[in-house]
Parts: sequence; C-alpha cells; structure tokens
Amino acid sequence: MATSEKAVASKNGKAPRWGMAVDLKRCVGCQSCTLACKAENGTPPGIFWMRVLEKEEGSYPQARKVFLPIRCNHCSEPPCVPVCPTGASYKRKRDNLVLINQDKCIGCRACVVACPYQVRFIAEDSKGYYGEELTPYEAESYKKWQPRTVQKCTFCVDRLETGREPACVQTCPTRALVFGNLNDLESEICKLVRQRAHFQPRAELGTDPSLYYLT
Amino acid sequence: MAHEFNMKLTPQEEWSWLLAVDLFLGGMGGGLFLLFLIFNLSPSIAVLSLGLVALGAVVLMVELGRPLRAWRALCKPFSSWISRGVIFVTLFIVFGALYSAPAFDSLSWLAPGSDTARRTIGVVAGISALFVTLYPGFVLAASPSIPFWNSPLLPVLFSFHSLMVASGLIFLIAPLGLESADLRSISFLGGILIVVNFVLGAMYLATSKGSGLASKEAVRRLNEGSLGWTFKVGVILVGMIVPLAVVLWTPSAMALAGLFILIGGLLFRYCVLKAGVYVPFPLT
Repeated sequence: MATSEKAVASKNGKAPRWGMAVDLKRCVGCQSCTLACKAENGTPPGIFWMRVLEKEEGSYPQARKVFLPIRCNHCSEPPCVPVCPTGASYKRKRDNLVLINQDKCIGCRACVVACPYQVRFIAEDSKGYYGEELTPYEAESYKKWQPRTVQKCTFCVDRLETGREPACVQTCPTRALVFGNLNDLESEICKLVRQRAHFQPRAELGTDPSLYYLT
Repeated sequence: MAHEFNMKLTPQEEWSWLLAVDLFLGGMGGGLFLLFLIFNLSPSIAVLSLGLVALGAVVLMVELGRPLRAWRALCKPFSSWISRGVIFVTLFIVFGALYSAPAFDSLSWLAPGSDTARRTIGVVAGISALFVTLYPGFVLAASPSIPFWNSPLLPVLFSFHSLMVASGLIFLIAPLGLESADLRSISFLGGILIVVNFVLGAMYLATSKGSGLASKEAVRRLNEGSLGWTFKVGVILVGMIVPLAVVLWTPSAMALAGLFILIGGLLFRYCVLKAGVYVPFPLT
C-alpha cells in the first residue's frame, strides 16, 4: 500500500485522511502491535501509544476473551485540539493526522483529559526501563519526545512519509489491522468499511474518529 | 502486558489538589473583587483579591509540565478556554491594579485623569473578575470525555461558588479591620449565596444522574466512599449547612462561618475534579 503523499494525491484531489480498520474477528490479542509500537517509537516505561485491551465474556463452558486494540483515533473533530491553549495539539491539513508539536506543549494536561479514548500520555521523566541510565536504544529513541509534555500515537508519521505503513499494521500476524486513506473510495479500508458491519468508537460524541472496528 | 477493558468506569487522575487549589484561589480572588466593587469595600480588599488571583496563577504554573513556556497559553483564545482564562487573569491583574492603586497615597500618581477613565478601568476589571470566576467551569465543561463536567451549568455553579467563598473570606477577615464595611448586607448576601449554591448543586447532581453511565458513576462517587465523605461532610455540612446556621442564628461567630466556607470551597473544587469519570470504552 502506498502511503506517501504524492502517491495518494495522484489518486484524487482530496488530502488523504489516514485511518485504520480493526477486524475484531481477526484480533487474537497477541500484543504484537503493542510491541511493534514500543520498538518503533521507543516509548518510556508504562506508556503504550498502542495497546490491546482484553475482557473475559460469558462463563464456563462458554467463556471467551474478546480483544480491543486502541490507539489515537486521529479524529476528524478531535476534542483534544480546541482545548489546547498553545496550539501544540493540531490537525495537520495535508493528511488530517492529529499531531503534537512538543516544543509548544506546556503540559497542562487539558488534551489528556479531553480525549474520550484515554490515549494521550505524559512521561514525567526520561527514565528508561532500567532506571536513570538509558540503554543505547533508549538514548536514541527518547530523542523523539520530551518529558512532561504530551505524547501519543502518530500513526508512525515518519514511516508514512517514506511510503511505509505504521509498525503495528505491518506486524499484525492475523492482518486484523488495515491502514489506508479514508478519502480514497477505492482503498482497501474504504471497501472493508462499506462491506462489513462496523462501528466507530464513541461516535456519539461527535469526534468522527478515523478508526473503524469491523465486527 | 494485557490491559483490561475499562469496564470499571475510570476517573480522571490528571487534575487533582494543585488544580483545585488554583481554582479555589482564582475563584475566590475574582469573587472578592466583585464584592469589593458591589459593596465599595476598602482598597486593601482589592489588593487581597489581586494577590489571591496571582497566587492561583503561580500554583497553576507549578502544575504545568513546562512552566517556562506558560506564555504560550495566550496563543489560542479563539478555541481554548484555558487560553481565554489566562487572558482574563492577566486583564484582571492589570486593570484591577490600575483601579485600586490610586487609593494608596504612594501610588496616587497612577490615578486616571477623569472619572470616566476610572469607571472604564473599573468596568474592565470587574468583567475580567467575573470571567475569572466563570472560566474554570468552561475549561472543565469543554471535555466531552467526562460527561459529569460537560454541562452548561458548571460555569454558573463555579461562579456562584466563587462569590460564596469570597463572602466567606470577608466573614473571616472582618474582625481584622473591616468595621466600615456593610457587614450586615454582606452576611445577608453570603447567606443567600449559600442557599443558591445548595440549590444549584442539587440541580447539577440531579441532572447529572440522568446523563448516562459515566455521570451516574460520578454522582455515586460523590455519595459513597472517601470522596463521598469529603463531599457530604466537607462540602455540604461544613461548607454550607453549618455556615448558614451561623449566619442565621449566631452572627457573632461569623469568622468561624467564613473559615468553614473556605474549607468547603476548596473541597468542592477537589470533589468536582475527582468525580470526573471518563466515558467508558465501547463494548462495555
């Protein structure tokens, strides 16, 4: 799948609106996406930009586990953006990604509270998994964010700009995660959303998330 | 590694005591300035109100992850209530100081040339003070993620509560030298404000109870457990019922009533913050 802007822009005049479809029938809760996100983005201990929630339903002998991968939904009407007093949280016009300019963030936490999906985080310090002393990998990956400012899933924006899919999508062994341009009616994600029963998380709040759960 | 679905409705944990103290100090300062204007109180009350709002701003700075960038909070007044709040606080401190400074001999040179100019400065300071009491409610109400806060009644409740707390502060400091003030009228207004806040609070809880799972859970939290005790004993009994009884039957103990109102006012803000429960994830 081509994700670079030029490739997408050539298909139609509209700016891409990156989104994700999560096939709940395919997700087996293996947490590969969680690990891939960690490896790609080097998030600090206790912070998971992407995670899979799980819940047990029913009772023996019909007990089963259901899984719900969650991350920033890059909403069309993101409630985190207007509450930001500095403009650090913004929606990028050229691809509709909701991003954070950490140089502008003052750490007021308004966006963390405003997000109905609880997928924004603040790292209080720069400690690594083994304490103050960072591993070489952590030392390198921690350059991507600043402590005491907000961070969250970017749909792996660096990868998108080089024509690659987000790390979680590439890693998913069951192909439960489908990434694509919601403004391109011929994209796989749009076809899936048209064909399958689906819901957008908490759509009643008017956020129009760019995330569809296929049921 | 696996996280459970948020079946248990989770309360927000981002904002707690520090923000409650900021909201308390800012609201009390704004309310005090309004009472200063309404009752033509001593200029020292205006200075106190300015000090309280400034202290609240300092507490807010401490709460920020990156306090040195706080100036950036002025950047988005067309969308963010925090940004608007910072502007109101700044306007209030500047115009409040300009309005009250000439009353002191050493600063009399700051007196504006005409009555109209002085009145205009007073109006700007008064409007800013009103918005200083209102904006925290708007900040909280702007979060669709927390339905308990997401109500147009919250700013009104915060504003009236700020006025009540300000009247409580006047009760408390009256024995220190406010003999010239019309304390009888202020205590009457204080009593009315307690009743109004009681009614508004009851309305707020009643409407919240019917506004979905998360709001219902917030109301439950305010009625049960440690937060329930803080709310029922601290906010309602100590912060409202006892002071109202004092105002009505033992006016000689007004200072004590004032202290109780202040305690209740701080706990009120803490309880509202801690009762904020997120909307649950889908599939719950």
